[in-house]
This record gives sequence, C-alpha cells and structure tokens, in this order.
Amino acid sequence: MALTRLIHHVRRVGLGQRTTFTDGELTVSTDEAQGILADAALAGVRLSWLSPGESARIVKVLDAVEPRTKGPGGGGIFPGFVGPARPQGDGETHVLRGTAVVTAGFLPRAQEALVDLSGPAAALSPLGATHNLVIEFTPAPDASWEKVDAALRTGSLRLAAWLAEAALDAEPDEIEELPSPSPVRRDRPRVGAITNLQTQGLFKDVFLYGRSFGSSLPTLLDPGELDDGAVVSGQFGHPALKNPTFMHQNHPVVNELRRRHGRDLDFAGLVICPEPVNQADKELVSAFAARVCAAAGFDAALVTKEGGGNADADMALKMDALAELGIEAVGLYAEMAGTDGTGPSIVVAPEKATAMVSTGNYDHRLQLPAVDKALGGDEFALLHIPATEAFEVPTAVVYCALSPLGWGRVTARAG
Amino acid sequence: MANIVHYINQFFAGVGGEDSAGAGPTLVAGPVGPGRRLAELLAPEHQIVATVWCGDDIASGVVPAIIDLIRSVDTDGGVDLVAAGPAFTSGRYGLACARVAAAAHDAGLRAVASMHEDNPGLDEAGTTPVVASGEVARRMAPSLDRLANAIGLLLRDEPLTAADGRIGKLARLTVMADATAAERAVDLALVRLGGDHTATEIPLPRFDQVTPAAPVEDLRTAMVALVTEGGLVPDENPGSLESARATRWLRYPIAEIDGLQAGEWRSIHGGFSTAYANEDPHRILPLDVGRQLVAEGAFGSLFGEYFVTTGNGTSVANARRFGIEWAADLRHSGARAAILTAT
Repeated sequence: MALTRLIHHVRRVGLGQRTTFTDGELTVSTDEAQGILADAALAGVRLSWLSPGESARIVKVLDAVEPRTKGPGGGGIFPGFVGPARPQGDGETHVLRGTAVVTAGFLPRAQEALVDLSGPAAALSPLGATHNLVIEFTPAPDASWEKVDAALRTGSLRLAAWLAEAALDAEPDEIEELPSPSPVRRDRPRVGAITNLQTQGLFKDVFLYGRSFGSSLPTLLDPGELDDGAVVSGQFGHPALKNPTFMHQNHPVVNELRRRHGRDLDFAGLVICPEPVNQADKELVSAFAARVCAAAGFDAALVTKEGGGNADADMALKMDALAELGIEAVGLYAEMAGTDGTGPSIVVAPEKATAMVSTGNYDHRLQLPAVDKALGGDEFALLHIPATEAFEVPTAVVYCALSPLGWGRVTARAG
Repeated sequence: MANIVHYINQFFAGVGGEDSAGAGPTLVAGPVGPGRRLAELLAPEHQIVATVWCGDDIASGVVPAIIDLIRSVDTDGGVDLVAAGPAFTSGRYGLACARVAAAAHDAGLRAVASMHEDNPGLDEAGTTPVVASGEVARRMAPSLDRLANAIGLLLRDEPLTAADGRIGKLARLTVMADATAAERAVDLALVRLGGDHTATEIPLPRFDQVTPAAPVEDLRTAMVALVTEGGLVPDENPGSLESARATRWLRYPIAEIDGLQAGEWRSIHGGFSTAYANEDPHRILPLDVGRQLVAEGAFGSLFGEYFVTTGNGTSVANARRFGIEWAADLRHSGARAAILTAT
C-alpha cells in the first residue's frame, strides 16, 4: 500500500463569489462555506482569513484542519465524518499546504488557547505560519454544547474537504510518494512510533474513523490513514500540549520516520493508544501497546503524548513496558519546570527507559504585544482582559507551542 | 584578600546538640569549628572574617536575621562571599544552609552551600551554587577541600561545574534547538540503539526515598500532633490558604475544642470534591478520634495546634520544605509523633 500526496502551495487567500484555487490563490465563497457549515445546533457562523505577519490573534482556538481531499465529495477523506467509515490511506490525496480551517470560540472544558500571527508567539505555533480560515460561531439558543461541538467538527472537516476540491484539477507543486511501513526486516534498525491520544470524555476526546477512541485498545494504524484524516481531534484541553487534527495529518514523528526510511532506519509502523483516566486502564493500555510493537518488530519506539500531568504516567508506563520487552523507547516530553526552570521537570518519570527529548518548558513566560484585531472572542479568558491587549502568558497557552508530536524546535536545557 | 563569612549550626559551633537547637543567630569573629580548617585551606588568598551560627530548629525561619548579621560584619572592603555548611545529610541544617546561601545570593553576594546530594534542603538553594559534601561528618576533610575549591573558583569568577562537585538545580532554560523535537527523537533512538544507554535531553528527576522514623517507644506518654494536606481551615479561610499549588502552610489552635463542627470548618482543597469533607471535617482531621484515644490513655496528649497545607499541584520543593518545617517545629514543641492525613 502507498499514498501519494499531491501538494498545492497556497500563497494568497481571499473571500469571493465562488470557491476557486488558481495560481496559488485560494478564494472562498462565504455563501458556499456557510451552507456547508449550516447545522441546527448553530445560529450562525462568521468566516475570516488571518494570514502570517498580520497584527492579529486568535483566542479560544479549538480544532485546526488542513484542507485535503481524495476526489469529488471528498473521495473518502475524513472517514467516519465526511466519507464513509472505511479504511483509507492509499491512492492520491490533494493537500492545500500553507492553510488551515480553524474553529474558535467558547466550548465547555475547552482551555483558553491562542495563536498570534506576528510577534514572539507566531513562531511557536504551526498556525502562526499558515493562512487561517477562522470559523467563529453562535450556538443555536436551544442547542446542547455536545451538538454544537459535533456540528463544528463535522462542518469544519466538510469545509476543509470542499476547499481542497478546488485544487483537484490544478497541477500540484510537489508530489510525494509515501510507501507504507514494511513488515520485512532488513539490515537497518526498525524504528516506529507510539502516539497517545487524550481520550477523556466529552470535549476531551479523539476520534478514529468517526468513533470515540476512548474505550479502545492500542492498534497499528497505517500512517497514510493519518494523512486521510482517520484520526480527528475533539480534545480542547492543554493548548500547548494538544494534537489537533492538523497535527495528526502532518504528524512530525511519522514524517521524520518516513524521510529516513531506507536510509539509516526502517519505519516499523505506527501504534495509536488512548490515554484513559484511571491507573488500571493506563497499565493495560501500556502493556498492550508494547506487545503490539513487539509483534510488529520494533527495535525502538518514539513515544508521544497529549495533555499535562496524568499523560506523563501513560508515557512512563509505556516506555518501561517497552524496555521490559527489549524495545528501546524515546519519549517526547514537555517539561513543567516552573517559571524559573528549577522545578522538577516531569510529573511521572519512567524508571527503566530513560531516553527523553524535551519540547520545552510549559511554565516559561512570554510577553505578547498588543494586536490590531482578535478573533474567537473579545476577551482572553485566562486573564479576563481584552483579547487585543499586550499581556504575559505561560508558553502553556500557545497552541501547539510544546507540540508533543515533535513539531517545534523549542526545548529546555540546563544552563 | 577576599572576606568570607561562614554559616554553621549550633552543633558545629560547639554550643550543643538538640538541647541548643532553639538558639538564635549569633555572630562570632573569625572562623569557628570546621571553619578553622576551611580558613587554612583558603589562606593566604582569602580569609574567614566571621562566623554566624544558629540553632537547627529555628534557623530556616530566621534567614533574614542571619543575613542582617552577615551584612553587619565590620570589615575592610565588605563581605565578598558567604559559605554555608557542610551540612552532610542533616535536613534542618541543610535547609538552613540552602536558604542562607540563596538569600545571600539574592542580596547580591557570592554564595555557596555544601551538603550531600540527598539532603532534603538542596532544592531550596534554587540556582545558588551548592557543592557536594560527604554523607556524614566523618567525611568533613574531603568535604571542606571541595568547598574551599568552590569558594576559590567563585571568587575568581570561574564556572563551578559538576566536575567540581556542583550539585542541585541548574535552571532549565528555554532555547531554540537546531532541529525539531521529532528529528532529535529519531537521532536519540539511533544513538541508544547504537549502544549509548544514557543519552537523554532530560535527566531523570530525583525522587526521595524516605526512611521511616523509628517507632515511638511509648505512645501512652507521647504528645501526638495532627497534620494534614487536606486543605481544612476555619470556614472563612482567614489565612487565605491556596486551593492548589500551595506555597505555604498554616497552623490553627485546637487545644480548646473537642470536635470540628460542620459549617465552622471547610476544606478549600481544589483537587477533589470536598462535599464529604465539609459534611464532617473529622474525615480530614481526626480530632474526635484523637481526643478519644487520649481519654482512653492510648495517647499521652494531643499537640495544641494542627498544621495544614493543600496537596494539589504543590511543587515537590515546597512540599519538601513544609515537611522539614513541620518536623522541626513539632520536635521543638515536644511532639513525639504526628498523624498526617492525606487526600
């Protein structure tokens, strides 16, 4: 099995009468987009573009999706939400690179998350470098929050597929052939990935083929299935430590393993795991995941997490379970070292497997400048001040700034 | 010639042991006790101009007074450096050394403390330099050699590194790496598979292994204290105890009361539903059972106050400090045992 990514670079964006993609310019019809997003749970939606370099901020950021399609009507993309829930991950997938569909606004349990399009926080978030089509919304008066959440998720995925459809006939800027991991052992070390998903109930859940992954056991997934949107995020906690749909579609560890496959390693596979809330389930999932990796012939596993303190327990248990089976484990950890960097870095440390990569200090303070405009809400909820003002925040509130999937270059070092 | 003030405890000052652990800070001219050997090691470049000593039970709580004494030292050119210890594995002494060094550092003086890596006071030094001592006072000579070497390096403004015996916190500084975390993780996996079994970007945190105290010989004559991390406070929370990430602890008198009435006491703990605790505050602080056991003669008496903090997202450094302070306070007050209720 192999997936071909047809990459179209989006260089300019705008709103217009028709949705088109021509010479790198993506124009979106507000009417068409609002039609796609229409749902009984939503009284209305507003659409705006924000581009890199603008004096602008998005607050209350929920999910972000990269526009992709496999054909007219989506061609099976986002299975379980847009396409039918059938295995994907092969054939061709069109990608609108450099743009994201972003939902922003209040949902219960969602923690205040921000993206700056300029200033020091812009470089810390993947959305600081993309043209973002921001969807703001007003819930219908009688709609439950559950239904509002579901409407936003389905609507933004449909819209992402629809935008990419405008590029179906365009000549791609790049073509990437992505073979699936091979089960055959050659003379290179077999390195795979374990991706923990924070599946802890309503507004803190992750979906596989349209269904909650919360009560599942670990499973092997073809990396191409991530590309085609089989994993969709509905997890709105821990802004800097979350893995929105956009990041699953562009999984940095998977991309790096693909890049080096056949050179200094062989990509052994991807195992996804839930992060349950209780200890017994964490232990079961961790031991089970290690067995799946052993069965797939992993020599080493790169383990990633989602969320804060308790997610460290899933990491530690899994890394030690791998070590017990003789599989080398490397954990990607965000540190919680306090504002001055002197606190204990991680909440639960592995005992046997001690290889860790730091994605930065959660508590490190950032000074953000005032901006001309803000979308997602009038107020920055964490500080109860207008969203456009200058303020100081911990890195923890910047969307994907400490990306557990390894997107960023931020790290922490003893000094 | 640089001027050094040396901080030690009452024991090493030759004043006394536990009987003198409540003695207040005292300034003495020149070196005292281990300071004499330290002064020999530092001569002729540097001299110990004064020694400040204080009783272990109170020292960590009177650090500002200790700093004032250090600053009052009358010397040509002022004080250049404060050295504290060696404190070995003594918790109260280590805590005092760490805090005195950190406070001197904050006051703009060079400072260094000496203690064993397992000393629970170590974290309190923050990023102020600490060098390793031996585990016990029998290792005084090599510990002083290392401390003298560290003092020399600091006074020459040279870096003090792990090779010189530096221990404790080095701040984790936020920087931009050359490669993404994903790229570095793959590199690290290959390095590990290549046979390097220690490579990592994050050193493992050190968690304490606490050795339990010896059993109390006779509880029937012992004073027993009640202490809790359950956030139980008088209903109005007069001391404004934090519901999470506590930075301090509080004490409230219970000598005059036999029980804790619902509505008069409240748990402000942010980490669990407090409904059941507030319905009957004894579920957090078992004063009722404590009084009963005293009446039955099982306990000699109950300590007249209880200590409380909130154990919810509390930093390890703060929690460790609370423990040292509670132990010192209770020991000083004559309590022989404490019941710590946790939530």
